[in-house]
Amino acid sequence: MKTAAEVLLVDDNPADIELTSDLLSKSKRHFRVNAVSNGEEAISFLRRQGKYADAPSPDLIILDLNLPRKDGREVLSEVKADVNLADIPVVIFTTSQASSDITRSYQLGANCYLRKPGNLPEFVAVVQSMADFWLGFATLPHKEKR
Amino acid sequence: MLSRVVSAARGEMKRPDVLQISTADKPFTNTPSLTSVPQVFGQKPCPPCAAAETEEGLDRAERFLPPCGPGGDSGNTSGKTDGKLKVLVVEDEPADIELVLHALRQAGFDVVADIAQSAEEFDQRVRGTSYDVILADYKLPHWNGMESVEALRLLGLDIPVILVSGSLGELTAVECIKQGASDYVLKDRLARLPESVRRAIQEKRCREEHSEGQKELARSNRDLEQFAYIASHDLQEPLRMVATYTQLLAERYRGKLDEDADKYIHYAVDGALRMQKLIEDLLTFSRAGRHGTEVESNDCNALLETAVTNLQAAIQESGAQVLYDHLPVVVADRTQLAQIFQNLIGNAIKFRAAEPPVIRVAAESKAGEWIFSIADNGIGIAREHAEIVFAIFKRLHTREEYPGSGIGLSICKKIVEQHGGRIWVESRPGKGATFKFTLPTKTS
Repeated sequence: MKTAAEVLLVDDNPADIELTSDLLSKSKRHFRVNAVSNGEEAISFLRRQGKYADAPSPDLIILDLNLPRKDGREVLSEVKADVNLADIPVVIFTTSQASSDITRSYQLGANCYLRKPGNLPEFVAVVQSMADFWLGFATLPHKEKR
Repeated sequence: MLSRVVSAARGEMKRPDVLQISTADKPFTNTPSLTSVPQVFGQKPCPPCAAAETEEGLDRAERFLPPCGPGGDSGNTSGKTDGKLKVLVVEDEPADIELVLHALRQAGFDVVADIAQSAEEFDQRVRGTSYDVILADYKLPHWNGMESVEALRLLGLDIPVILVSGSLGELTAVECIKQGASDYVLKDRLARLPESVRRAIQEKRCREEHSEGQKELARSNRDLEQFAYIASHDLQEPLRMVATYTQLLAERYRGKLDEDADKYIHYAVDGALRMQKLIEDLLTFSRAGRHGTEVESNDCNALLETAVTNLQAAIQESGAQVLYDHLPVVVADRTQLAQIFQNLIGNAIKFRAAEPPVIRVAAESKAGEWIFSIADNGIGIAREHAEIVFAIFKRLHTREEYPGSGIGLSICKKIVEQHGGRIWVESRPGKGATFKFTLPTKTS
């Protein structure tokens, strides 16, 4: 039997974490959501430091840009510069519509940039599409060696 | 006459239209001394303060004398309050220095003067003291009066320089003023000097106020951009939470509370979504017609077709007909011009009467501009609303009657005005409406 995919959700907004997790959990796909609320925790989680020593290696990172302490841009560039982490797909999921944020994110190696929609029906549609695409149709790298 | 030559050479003859406009400029009111400053030769480009200088009937001498002396507001002219006039005299002839200072004192100036006789002295003086005016002999043995103008420019100092000389000749005088001297006064006509000084100081203050105004404008533009950024990000974020979670509440608790609760939740959702739309529209409006857009020659027929294609759904649903004659090629921003057509035709469809809309688009060339018209057979607009429809977020109907946030026409107006045109509507209720706008026919 296939093991459940692991998703790391990095967002400082508890409401968004709750809603996104809730929607992901209702998706037909089989995976677990791990949520952290700032950039430093995200890096600790990915490097299995401190309380995250036993953290799973994620198959997908959903990353907000505007985060306290270490922001999403820094997390993104650290992930993509780390040979052990660089192959994990990163989906930027943020309110920012600034073209500078979009361009910079792709330049830093983001695999997808999604804007958080302002209303529920679209929010649901985006999260479901994201799950369907990244955890369904897309073929992801093997993570045994991480 | 020298004055004529100079004015004409510098292209600054008085222009009544400028005068009218600038008298209304608030920053330049409350300066009573302005009214008594005459406008004579060597006038600097200084539109705002040229404002109230046209009291034709007044005797010249009377106008030149009073306000800038002690007890008047001369202190204000240089931003100081001690009422003293700080003068640097660039002159090597002691008798001439005395004459010059005497002329000023006689006119009521409380003069504090320094003397400079060489480039080194001049440099030292202007670095150490902030002078109100420099009176420079045109020709000194080792020092040319015009060199002081150049030296000031290099130092980045804006101190008016008035050349005082025995004789000079009109051509040289014109040249000096072109180079940046404020004025030129002959030594045997020193009676003119006080008035010349007064005007030079006044002009300097105008320049300062003008440049202050420019800085203020740049600041306020930056503030606006900052506001647009805040509106697009920081305001949208909490609003998104309100919209999303009231919608979630509506979805998951519909029928589980009571009817009132469902209704209230609906109001909250509706309010949040409308607020989002308003913010988006406000941003669209702030971006519309922004400077630096690409202006090129555009075939309006093609742009109109683009607009019609974008409106296809509404056209089919309403059975609208869009008719147009051969439209011209105009110089404008392509996207923005298409937007105008789309907004106006879209409105013509939206505000239709019982019968299917028939919309006629035409253009005629008249007096250096194209007049475009978009005429419909819709419900029309009352005369008293003809102006207000162009104001941002102004609506004549409820959202239930006609959807929309009232942004379309204000965007059209902004774009047209940025292109140097005008927009208006000719209409009567029940008789259709014809929106007209102009664009300059310039080809470059």
